[in-house]
Amino acid sequence: MSEYFRNIASSTSTILTGMGITLKHFFNAFKRKGEAGIEESGYFGQVDGLVTLQYPREAIPTPDNARYRLHNDIEDCIGCGQCVRACPIECITMETIKVTKADLETCGKTSGGQQKRFWIPVFDIDIAKCMTCGICVSVCPTACLTHTKVSDFTEFDREHMIYHFGNLSRIEADLMRKKAEEEKKAAPAKPAPKAKPAPKPKPAQQPNASSNNE
Amino acid sequence: MMLSNYFPIPMSMSLNSWSDALSQWYLFGLPLGLVVIAAIPLVFIALYALTYGVYGERKISAFMQDRLGPMEVGKWGILQTLADILKLLQKEDIVNTNADKFLFVVGPGILFVGSFMAFAVLPFGPAFIGADLNVGLFYAIGIVALEVVGILAAGWGSNNKWALYGAIRSVAQIVSYEIPAAIAILCGAMMAGTLSMQQFNILQQGEYGFLHFFLFQNPIAWLPFIIYFIASLAETNRAPFDIPEAESELVAGYFTEYSGMKFAVIFLAEYGSMFMVSAIISVVFLGGWNSPLPNIGSFALNDWTTGPVWGAAWIILKGFFFIFLQMWLRWTLPRLRVDQLMYVCWKVLTPFAFVAFVLTAVWEIYM
Amino acid sequence: MQELPKAEHRSVRVTPNGKNRVVIEKDLSSEEMILNMGPQHPSTHGVLRLECKTDGEVVVEAEPYLGYLHRCFEKHAEMVDYPGIVPFVDRMDYLAAMNSEFAYCIAVEKLLDIEIPRRVEFLRVIVSELNRIASHLVAIGTYAIDLGAFTPFLFCFRDREHIMSLLEWASGARMLYNYIWIGGASYDFPKGMQKRIDEFITYFRPKALELQRLLTENEIFVKRTRGIGMMPADVAVNYGWSGPMLRGSGVEWDLRRNDPYSIYPELDFKVCVPDGRHSDIGDSLSRHLVRAYEMEESLSIIEQCLDKMPAAEEGFNPRAAIPKRIRPKAGEVYGRAENPRGELGFYIVSDGKSTKPVRCKARSSCFVNLSAMKEMSMGQLIPDLVAIIGSIDIVLGEVDR
Repeated sequence: MSEYFRNIASSTSTILTGMGITLKHFFNAFKRKGEAGIEESGYFGQVDGLVTLQYPREAIPTPDNARYRLHNDIEDCIGCGQCVRACPIECITMETIKVTKADLETCGKTSGGQQKRFWIPVFDIDIAKCMTCGICVSVCPTACLTHTKVSDFTEFDREHMIYHFGNLSRIEADLMRKKAEEEKKAAPAKPAPKAKPAPKPKPAQQPNASSNNE
Repeated sequence: MMLSNYFPIPMSMSLNSWSDALSQWYLFGLPLGLVVIAAIPLVFIALYALTYGVYGERKISAFMQDRLGPMEVGKWGILQTLADILKLLQKEDIVNTNADKFLFVVGPGILFVGSFMAFAVLPFGPAFIGADLNVGLFYAIGIVALEVVGILAAGWGSNNKWALYGAIRSVAQIVSYEIPAAIAILCGAMMAGTLSMQQFNILQQGEYGFLHFFLFQNPIAWLPFIIYFIASLAETNRAPFDIPEAESELVAGYFTEYSGMKFAVIFLAEYGSMFMVSAIISVVFLGGWNSPLPNIGSFALNDWTTGPVWGAAWIILKGFFFIFLQMWLRWTLPRLRVDQLMYVCWKVLTPFAFVAFVLTAVWEIYM
Repeated sequence: MQELPKAEHRSVRVTPNGKNRVVIEKDLSSEEMILNMGPQHPSTHGVLRLECKTDGEVVVEAEPYLGYLHRCFEKHAEMVDYPGIVPFVDRMDYLAAMNSEFAYCIAVEKLLDIEIPRRVEFLRVIVSELNRIASHLVAIGTYAIDLGAFTPFLFCFRDREHIMSLLEWASGARMLYNYIWIGGASYDFPKGMQKRIDEFITYFRPKALELQRLLTENEIFVKRTRGIGMMPADVAVNYGWSGPMLRGSGVEWDLRRNDPYSIYPELDFKVCVPDGRHSDIGDSLSRHLVRAYEMEESLSIIEQCLDKMPAAEEGFNPRAAIPKRIRPKAGEVYGRAENPRGELGFYIVSDGKSTKPVRCKARSSCFVNLSAMKEMSMGQLIPDLVAIIGSIDIVLGEVDR
């Protein structure tokens, strides 16, 4: 019998405790945590009150080293293909054309001063496949491939999720391909250029085409 | 009274004269006055269920959980419920191929009718009452129990195992909790000596405001008051007794298969009966439409806050207070198990209700 | 499991461990109903399917069916080189990605036999303990929601959000980090991170206490979980349980203590087992309590790590020890670590020639813990079945892999 009453008493008291906690939160509702990012010192400044944000208008900023949308600075890309090999899900497609000796000057150097030896007519990243693991970024020798802080890049069309970073138009690519083949014929003694895939019928887009709109 | 200068007719009329006058009003030989009287609570309920019930529940739960709640539709999301209704109206009304179509369709109807018929005897003020039955309280309790039939029809007609579980649980729960609830209400009826809802209010009138309420006139009244409140949670399937629709166990209980407007009707009936039990508890124990403010010397607060409009405001406020309590409990507590629910009913509430019954009787006789 | 005759007036069902006893009085003959729970049921934590034989509200038998989230992790791992597997390991137990990575990296490092910089070890332990708290918060929160309490769930997620922000700051991703790499870590902690973690600990302690008062001490919660899903220690060991589940049964077994890895031997922490005062040892409440205590222990581990952690020297690179090309010599290895859900092990076979493993088998704790579902659920009520599933704290991503 005493257990019966003890049960009733403990139920009542614990229920009232719980109700007290929820009521406290109810009256704290006029305070809000705000949009301080984790990098700011005031992140844990407001511990009570509402924590949710009205997302599209308010958002917690992503930190500087956040890994979200991939971006390739094609001017610095040397076309080594490390990222393509490293990617565990093969979301990067790359096509390179060897630069002829005469064109080395036109092709230019990276910002680090390294001579670029490949034209890159196709550098497509299917960002819909990308799982933002960051392995491609870690292997990139010129640090031209980076994850950016932009975390919301939804699109209505899946095609728009394929980002084109190639730096040659189709006509230019055809021209360069022809030049490279001529050079190869002219110097048969040399071993075949390392990267020279068969030209695909798929057209390469303009450099930094429409979808790459940061 | 100052207000009576501006509204001489409603304030000075006797209690039922408004409704009496209205019910005598015939247009082209049709009793339109009666329709208007019946429509007043219904219109109120529709508005309440739409705005306060759903919107309030969402906002209260949000604030208790450190969230913002609906914020997009209108200022602070005030029109959110309207958007929800529009969405529900546009939704496809699905009836299962293997459902018992008659029961499936009729279930929400019975639920709705059961919960809203009780409003006929609910006094919204000295004048606003659909029908001042002399067995009003008995009628209200009885008619709310009609919901059981609707729930069983909905659960069985869905031809879904989860819905069947929900319906059977719900029937067992509501039928069991009728007993402590009825005994607790009976304590109130004993104190009043009547079953008429309007008489309850008149008996609790007085210049000292809340001191005339049964809850404060009788120290024992607290016990049936609490018992009825707990039992009413179970009767309206609110947490922590929401096992008939326990979404983590039974998906959605007896309305698993409902969609579109039928779902909205069930929802509306639920919020309607939430208000109904809150109104009953405030009529029986907390003076219904009487002002709780006392007259203090020359500050005749009680007189100033009495009248038809004030009366409606008071009973709605009291009802809202209990609805807030229900929501507060819901967003705090876990759910009971089926057998624990029955334990609470038969081994805790019912014995205490009997004790309260006897004590109230003794008090009424000797005090 | 004995078969019951259909028309029986009184039946007593006792589960093999002899604890769960349900007496059913029957006046009429009745049949058992097959109830399909899941894969789209709110409380099966993903896509678990339970085929329940029910007799009224009583579950006579519940058989789990798996495979709805099978993503061929083990076959996939044979196609990807060693560092490339890490993101896939994240996606096995997505609630405790850091701990999964830790287990995998321990296995591969054992195979490679390489030395890890000391600061990196501290980084790893801190992030995996943070992730353990986050994972336990989800476990406790979803357990609350299984039992019908919504508010504790949202409180848990509110606090977990802070941990995710912290880990995003450290690793760059919010949930699937790819932070712990074979032989190192992807980044050092950013400047101010240690202070922020300290602030988090001071923030979280009162919140955890509030959670305890709101949920764990609540009488309804205790009544719903105490004595439900009993699992005696010997049966639990025979089923191969590990982690909080095994400790809930009273076995003091924690890989951080019993098979120490990384810097855990230097740290002072308690292996949490229920003392039997607040719960019956081996029931759902014990498992819940173990998780709640473990959050506290993890906080103290993080505090110790922050104290002891060697300061970053100029030019410290957490990737310094990472081999340029990971091609282990031929051999096989089993590496394991304490996941929030139990022992997560990786059995890796290398042929010595390729940069890809020949075989990569994951020993998933959730899968093993789930195997006792049938025994625990025998003769329980449907609400108790939900309480039992919740107490196992399964992540279907790890069960099905």
